[in-house]
Amino acid sequence: MTDRRVGRRGFLASGSAATLAALAGCTGVPGSGGGGGGGGSGDDTITLGILEDRSGNFALVGDPKHKASLLAIEEINQNGGIDGKQIEVFDPDPQSDNQRYQELTRRAIQQEQVDALWAGYSSATREAIRPIIDREDQLYFYTTQYEGGVCDKNVFAVGPTARQQLGSVLPYLREEYGPEIYTIAADYNFGQLSADWVKVLADENDAEVIGEEFIPLSNSQFGSTINRIQEADPDFVMSMLVGANHTSFYEQKASAGLDVPIGTSTAMAQGYEHLRLDPPAMANIYAGVNYMEEIPTERNTSDGGFVDRYYEKFPDAPYLNEEAENNYFSIYMYKAAVEQAGTTNQEEVKAALESGITYGAPEAPGEEEISLVPETHHVDHHMWVMRADENHNVEAVDDRVIPETFLKDTVGCDLTEEDEETQYTPQDFYEEAG
Amino acid sequence: MATETGAGRTDSEPSGLLGRVRGRLEGPNTIGNSRAYWAGFAVAVAALLVYPYIVGAYQASRFSLFLVYAFLGLSLSVVWGYAGVLSFGQVVFFGVAGYTFGVVSVNFATPAGITGAFLVGIGGGALVAAVLGYFMFYGGVRDVYVTIITLVSTLVLHTFMAQTAGDQWTIGEAALGGFNGMPTIPNLAFGVGGAALVISDVMFYYLVLVLLVATYLGLRVLVNSDFGRVMVAVREDEDRTRMFGYDVRRAKLLVFTLGGALAGLSGVLYAAWGNYVSPGVFELAFASLPVVWVSIGGRDTLLGAVAATVGIEFFRNSLGGEWAFVTVGALLLVSILGLPGGVVPWLDRTYRNLRGGGTTPPTETTDSTDPEVTEA
Amino acid sequence: MINGLNLLFQFLDSFAFVVLAAAGLAIIFGIMGVINLAHGEFIMLGAYATTLASVRLGLPLVAAMLVGMVVTALFGLLVERVIISGWAPNWLGQRLVGRDLMEPLYDRLADSMVATWGLSLIMVQGVRITLGNSLDQIGTPLGNIAYGGFSYSMYRVVLSGVALGVLVLAYLVFTRTEFGMRARATIQDEDTARALGVDTERTYAATFVIGSGLAGLTGALYAPTVTMVPGLGGSFLVEAFVAVVVGGPSVVLGTALAGGFLGGINALVSNLLGTTAGRIALLVTAIVMIRFLPDGITGFVERVRARRQEGGA
Repeated sequence: MTDRRVGRRGFLASGSAATLAALAGCTGVPGSGGGGGGGGSGDDTITLGILEDRSGNFALVGDPKHKASLLAIEEINQNGGIDGKQIEVFDPDPQSDNQRYQELTRRAIQQEQVDALWAGYSSATREAIRPIIDREDQLYFYTTQYEGGVCDKNVFAVGPTARQQLGSVLPYLREEYGPEIYTIAADYNFGQLSADWVKVLADENDAEVIGEEFIPLSNSQFGSTINRIQEADPDFVMSMLVGANHTSFYEQKASAGLDVPIGTSTAMAQGYEHLRLDPPAMANIYAGVNYMEEIPTERNTSDGGFVDRYYEKFPDAPYLNEEAENNYFSIYMYKAAVEQAGTTNQEEVKAALESGITYGAPEAPGEEEISLVPETHHVDHHMWVMRADENHNVEAVDDRVIPETFLKDTVGCDLTEEDEETQYTPQDFYEEAG
Repeated sequence: MATETGAGRTDSEPSGLLGRVRGRLEGPNTIGNSRAYWAGFAVAVAALLVYPYIVGAYQASRFSLFLVYAFLGLSLSVVWGYAGVLSFGQVVFFGVAGYTFGVVSVNFATPAGITGAFLVGIGGGALVAAVLGYFMFYGGVRDVYVTIITLVSTLVLHTFMAQTAGDQWTIGEAALGGFNGMPTIPNLAFGVGGAALVISDVMFYYLVLVLLVATYLGLRVLVNSDFGRVMVAVREDEDRTRMFGYDVRRAKLLVFTLGGALAGLSGVLYAAWGNYVSPGVFELAFASLPVVWVSIGGRDTLLGAVAATVGIEFFRNSLGGEWAFVTVGALLLVSILGLPGGVVPWLDRTYRNLRGGGTTPPTETTDSTDPEVTEA
Repeated sequence: MINGLNLLFQFLDSFAFVVLAAAGLAIIFGIMGVINLAHGEFIMLGAYATTLASVRLGLPLVAAMLVGMVVTALFGLLVERVIISGWAPNWLGQRLVGRDLMEPLYDRLADSMVATWGLSLIMVQGVRITLGNSLDQIGTPLGNIAYGGFSYSMYRVVLSGVALGVLVLAYLVFTRTEFGMRARATIQDEDTARALGVDTERTYAATFVIGSGLAGLTGALYAPTVTMVPGLGGSFLVEAFVAVVVGGPSVVLGTALAGGFLGGINALVSNLLGTTAGRIALLVTAIVMIRFLPDGITGFVERVRARRQEGGA
C-alpha cells in the first residue's frame, strides 16, 4: 500500500516537474518563437497583413481602409510588384474586437509570417497589440489619426496627430471668428488628449478655451451640451466627438438652431457625415484633416486620379475616407523602402524607412511629396481645412504642410539613435516646454 | 454521505484510495459518476496535454485563452447553476482582478512582485464580490434584481474606467490608460529572484491547463460536499432552506465570493495572456458571454460550463466573415430553445438512455419558478 | 449656472428618452416575464423602417413613422410565434415527429435572455449585411424654440408630449379595454385567469406584439435624431432596463415614475457636472433604488398601501 501511494504521488510529482522543466526550454514545439528579423513566407512573394474592421462598431470607418489597401496592392502587383515580387495579402476581419486583434496579430506574425502589418482603427486596438508587436519586433504601420506621442521603434504611425489636425484648423478659425473657444470631446484618451492640445494651440495662437466638456462614448443625447454651448457663447467650438452615438450631436444641434462655427478633427473625413446627414446639420463645420475625398489636388480628383481608381475597383463603396489614403500611401512607402533596402528583412526595411522616404500622396498638391520623418516614424502631412456649407458642399479654405513637432522637437524622440517603446502625452509637452 | 441511487455510480464501489477519492468527487450534483466517465476524462486531459505538439505554439497560445475563459464560465456556473444567483457581473470581478494584477505587476516587476500580483489580483476579485454580495444579499435583494444590479455595476465600471485616460489616473508606475487600456503588463512569473519561473507561450498553456483541471476537481469536491448540498438547497427554495435553520444570506455571500475569486483568477490569467487589459472587458457584449456559455453548456454542471465555454469560444473565434455573428446568434437560439437544460445534461441523458436502464428524468426546463428535480 | 427653462427642457428630454425606451420592454417584462435583450434591436428596426419608408418610398414623416411601428409590430408577431411561445416550431414538430419541440419562454428569465441575445446578434448583423454600415438619415422636423440666448429643438419637446401620450394611452388600454383587463388578470395570477377562461396564450401574443410596436414607435420617433447604424439600439437598452426595474410591477405608473425620477437625476447631474457624471449618476441611482426598494417604486407604494389598509382594518 505504502509503496503504491508513494509511487503514484512520486510519479505525478516527478512527471509534472519534468514536463514543466522540459517546456522551460521549449524548443520542441513547432512554430514557437517568431522573429522579426526573419523574412517573409516565400522567396518570390511578399506577404502583407491587413487587419481592418469590416464588421462591428468600426466597420463604417474600417472598410474604406481595407479597400484602399487592396487598391494599392493591386496597383503595385500590376506594375511588377515590389522588386519583381508579387504581394499576397492576409486580411481576415477582426470584427472591431480587440481580442480578435490580439489573436490575429499573433497569427499574422507567427503563422503567416507577414513582412509588414497594417492593423487597427482605434488607439485601444493599437495598444492591445503593441505588446505582441514589440515582443516580436514586427514592422507595423498604424494609419489612423490619433492623439500623437507614440515613439516606438516598431511602430510607424503615419496618420496625422491631433496636434497636426487641430493645428491646421484652430489658427484659421481664430483668425476668422475670434479668440473664445469651447471644447467638446469624447470622454476617453483620444478626446481628452486632443482637448489638451487645443489648450496648447490656444496659447500659441492668442486664443482662450472658455469651456470644456467631455461626453461618454455611449451618450447620444446632447440637449444639455447644446444649452451649455449657448450659455458660454464662444466664437467657435472645437469638436473631437467620436463614434456613431456622437454623430447625433450634429443633427441635434442643427435642429436646436445652434449655428456657431465648429472646427473638428474627427467629423466628416472619417465617417462622411456630410453625406449621411440631411443638410444643414454639417453647415459651417471645418474639418482639419490631411485627406478627404473632396481634396482638390490633381492626384486626387483629376481624371484617373485616386478617387476615380478607387470607385472603379469598388463601385459600391460609400466613401473614400481619411484613413484610407493613409493606408494607401504607406503601402507605397513600404514598397519604396523595400526597394531601397533590397530585401524584405524587417530590420533592414525599418532602417530604410528611417533614411528619409518621401511619396507623392493624393493629399499633396501638384508635384509635392510628403515625407516620413526618420527620427519619429511619423509623417509631415499636407493639412487641409475643409468647410461644409448649408448644402453640404465641401471646399478647401486653407492648406499647408504641418510637420510633426511634438515628438521631434519638444520631446526629442529620435529612433535613429535610440530604440524606444513609449507613448508621450501633452503633459510631457508642458514639462519639456517649461 | 451515501450517494443516491439511480443517479449514482453504475458500477460496484471500488475500495481503497481510488474509491475514497472518487467518493469525494462524485455525487448527485455533478455529471459523470462512473468509471467510464473518468476514463473519458483522462483521455480528454491527455489529448489536451498533447495538443500543442500537434498544432504548434500559435494555436496552443490561442487555445489557452479559451481555457482561461473556462474559469469565468465555472465562476458563473458555481454562482448560478449551484446557488441560483444569476449574475451578469462576473466580468466585474474578472476586470478588477485583471487591472489589479496589471497595476501591481507593473509597479513591482520582479518575479516575486508578479507572484504577489497574481495573488492580490485574485484577492481583489474576491473582495469586490464580497462587498457587492454583502450589499445585495444582506439587503434582501433577490432574483432578477440581483441580475440587474450586477449588470448595472458592469456598466458603471465601463463608463468609469473608459475615462481614466489622463495622467492623474496613474497608480505608481502604472497608468490606467482609460479607453486605450493598460498595455505592457508583464508575463506571469512565479518564484523569487534567480530561482523564478517566467511563464510564456506554451508554458502558459500548460499552467492554465493544470490550474483548470485542479480547479474543476476541487469544485467537484465542493459541490458534492455538505456545503454543496446547502448551495443546491438555496437554489431550489430559499425560504424553505432558511426555515430549516440555514443562514441563507451567508451561504449566498460565500458562494458569490468564491465565484468572484474564480472570475478573478480568470481575469489575472487573461491580463497575463495578452499583456493587456482594457475597459472592453466591462462591455455588455462580454458580460453576457458567460451567461451564454453556461446556458448552452448546462449551468448546473461544471463539465457543461467548461466544455461549452471552450467549445463556443473556439467556434466563435474560428468563424470569420460577415456571417459569423449571425451563425453564433442562430446557434444560441436553437440550443436554448431546443435544449433548455443545456447540451451536456442532454448528452448525459442520451448516453444513459442508450446504455439502457437507469432512471430517465423527464425533459424539463431548468428555469421555471416551480421547484424542480435535480439533474445529476 | 442653472437656468430654469434650460433645466426644464433637459428634464423633459431625459424623461421622454427613458419612458419611450422603456415602454415596450416594461409591458413585455411585466406581463410575460420575458426579458427581451433584443429590445434595442426592435427600436433599431422601427428606426430603419421609418427611414427607408421616408427616403425610398417618399412617404411623409408621420406616415413613415406609422410604417415603422407596424413593421416592428409584425416582426414582433413573428418572433413571438417562433421563438417566445414556440407555436410555430411545435406545430412543425407535431406534424413531423409527433411531439412538441420546445417550451414557451414565459417566466423563464435566463433562457429568454439568452434566446433574445441570440436574436439581437442575428438582427444587428443581418441588417448590416443587407443594408450596409449606415443609412442616410432623415432631418429633424419642426425647427426650434428660442428663448433668451438659448434655443431648444421643438421636436424634442414634442417627444416628451408623445411620451406622456403613450403612457396615457397604455393606461387607458389597461384599464378600459377587455384586453387590458385580461392582461392585468394574467399578470396577477395566471392560473386563476386561465381557469376563468382567459386565453392566456392569445393575451401573451398580443402583449408581445404591442410591446414590439411600442419599441418600433420609439425607433420611429428617434429616427430623425440619431445616427442610423445597425448598432443604434445599444444606446437605448440600458436606460430601458434600468427604468423597468426601478419602476416596479405596475407597468404604466412604474414606467412614468421611473422616467421622471431617473430622467430628473440624469438631467440635473448632467447640467451641473457634465454628461459622464450624469450617466454614472443614473446608473448608481438605479443600483441604490433596487437595493432599497427591491420591488421598484410602485411595488414599494403598493406595500405601504397594503400595510396601511391592514393597520386600518
